[in-house]
Amino acid sequence: MFRTVVPVFIALVIAIGGGAWSLRYALEHGLGMETLTVGPWQANPDIGTPDASPYARAVVARRGELPLGRAEGLTFHALNDSSGAALERNCSYSIAGELPPARFWTLHAADPAMRPLPAVGLRPAALQSTAMLHDGGDSVLVTASPHPTPANWLALSGTGRMILVLALYDTPIASSTEISRIVLPRISRLGCE
Amino acid sequence: MTRLLYAILVGLVGAGVVHAVILLILPHYSERDAWTRLAAHAGYYHFTRMSGEDTPPIVRGGDPLFDAVACRFDLSKGIVHVKASGHVPFWSVSVYNRHGQNIYSLNDRAQVLGDLDLVLVTPAQMIELKKSVPKEFEKSVFMEADVGRGIVAIRSFVPDQTWTKAIADYLNNASCALR
Repeated sequence: MFRTVVPVFIALVIAIGGGAWSLRYALEHGLGMETLTVGPWQANPDIGTPDASPYARAVVARRGELPLGRAEGLTFHALNDSSGAALERNCSYSIAGELPPARFWTLHAADPAMRPLPAVGLRPAALQSTAMLHDGGDSVLVTASPHPTPANWLALSGTGRMILVLALYDTPIASSTEISRIVLPRISRLGCE
Repeated sequence: MTRLLYAILVGLVGAGVVHAVILLILPHYSERDAWTRLAAHAGYYHFTRMSGEDTPPIVRGGDPLFDAVACRFDLSKGIVHVKASGHVPFWSVSVYNRHGQNIYSLNDRAQVLGDLDLVLVTPAQMIELKKSVPKEFEKSVFMEADVGRGIVAIRSFVPDQTWTKAIADYLNNASCALR
């Protein structure tokens, strides 16, 4: 009796526990999804589309999101800077470089639950391309920092991890085959408090 | 000892089965998905805000520089007419199925006549409609979707705070009607 029950119990625990844990791990780490990686930036062009993998479908259902359609735009997320270190809300970063063609783009910082960081005073918690100061060329330079900086300042607040979200709207890259040749800005840490 | 190894092996195979089964049924039973969240706030054929100024967002992952509304529909009850008029810097529309999969999207460049005017139909309803297009649909973009229940979302760009009220009014006047 005992010799039968114990192995069955062990098998059940491994099956249910292991199955649930491995699925949770896969969904939280974006496994099983088509991911486009450009330096520190990542996007899932197929998320939310009918071609999405079962993992991408499950992620959408779990997060309660309605992802942007191809004619709307494409969203990139960065969890790390260009050297691979995690992004922190109490550090300063420069986000510099060229962006792919798009009608306009927005940049904001969010907490790990993807909630945008709160506005700092009257400073909006996001920047957008039509209100950018340019130095004459095609490239942009944004400074994300808890302290005011000249030119394009993305105001940060609080402590802990953050995610930078760059959304390109009405962009040909969302639907074209040139998706592998995208260039996105570098994120470099300037210092921390 | 053999029994134990056998139990672990069976357990691992079982874990794979459990993993796959939960993965496939999760979108059908999720109580956190966009549909369920919207259903808690508004009925069918009614545009509701996806995120508010002070309230926690109903549909997560939205852009803070956007104002957006979503409406649930059921094509098995009849065709859906989505309209919004006014001048805004940018608008885009997405149609999702019951599980939040994007099946169609367009933006303001696609609708040359200006105002957003979209008719959602099933292929069968489209055949009926082609026989005689009603006058109110003369300028509409037709979108065939074989989805039954679904969600249509309108997003509009708010470049700065001076636009907040204009964009909110634009989206408040958007209609999502059963025809």
